[in-house]
Amino acid sequence: MAPHVTRREALGGAAAALVLASCGGGDPPPATGPRPGSGIALLGSLLALERASFAAYGTCLEVLTGEARTQVHAIRAQERTHIAGLERAIDDLGATPAPGRDSAEYRRTFPALRTAEDALRFAEDLEERQVRAYLEAVTDFPALQLRLRAAGICSDEATHLGAVRVLQGLPAAQGPFVTGAL
Amino acid sequence: MAERSDVDLMVDLLARERRLVSAYEAALRRDAIDASLGEMLLAHERAHVAALERTLAGRGNPTATVPSPELTAAVRDRRSFAQYAIRLEDETIAAYADGVPRIRDPKLRQPLGSIMVCGGAHLVALRDSIGISLVD
Repeated sequence: MAPHVTRREALGGAAAALVLASCGGGDPPPATGPRPGSGIALLGSLLALERASFAAYGTCLEVLTGEARTQVHAIRAQERTHIAGLERAIDDLGATPAPGRDSAEYRRTFPALRTAEDALRFAEDLEERQVRAYLEAVTDFPALQLRLRAAGICSDEATHLGAVRVLQGLPAAQGPFVTGAL
Repeated sequence: MAERSDVDLMVDLLARERRLVSAYEAALRRDAIDASLGEMLLAHERAHVAALERTLAGRGNPTATVPSPELTAAVRDRRSFAQYAIRLEDETIAAYADGVPRIRDPKLRQPLGSIMVCGGAHLVALRDSIGISLVD
């Protein structure tokens, strides 16, 4: 039987995967600067993901109105502070953050968002991927300070994920364990 | 200051989860929360408690949860309970965000973090229930 792909998966899942695949998540660490194992490559991946999400929210805002627009605007403002925090963390390790892409480059990787529903489904997929990335970072970062930073941002992304679900008329929480259980 | 052990950190998180269970139980008894929302939040908190207890497997000695005067005052109406629960969930999330990265066993960090993410969703649901901004 052919695998069943929902519209949501076709739109959001594939698009968000494309964003991730194209945002430089697998880039090697810089040739100079911090040694491998310092967490610099993971910081670079998280920064690329945050920048892609920030750009994606800009696209979402073009089709959102009313309360959804207000909330997504607030989420986007928080993503901007995450970007600044990650850039500082890279600086602190003695490296230079990679330059971001321009908005047109990001836009080419996003799906066409025609309605508010399209935008919020896309936003939910982005937030799920961000939550997963930060939970993995809390596990994988070698230094406590980086793990603390990742956990702090993850708690913000958790509220973003809940918010974009509520804006779609879904329950904020999907279950007691969002990814993985004890 | 000496770093706390994984058991100490999880005992603290378990005490906080039990406090949330007590709060939602009290709110449901006093009709201080919408029943379907309260039952969902309570079910999640009970699942968190069960998971932490399983992981601790009898290690540690969580402090018994005593109903706080604050909770007694909060259950007088739905708005004041939601505000109380928002504060409690917020404090619990902060405890996870500070505690989980300190857990030495890396295999535990992601599942504990997933409880923190659920707490973020609870915050949003509670904010929505009283019509305040979903995002702080």
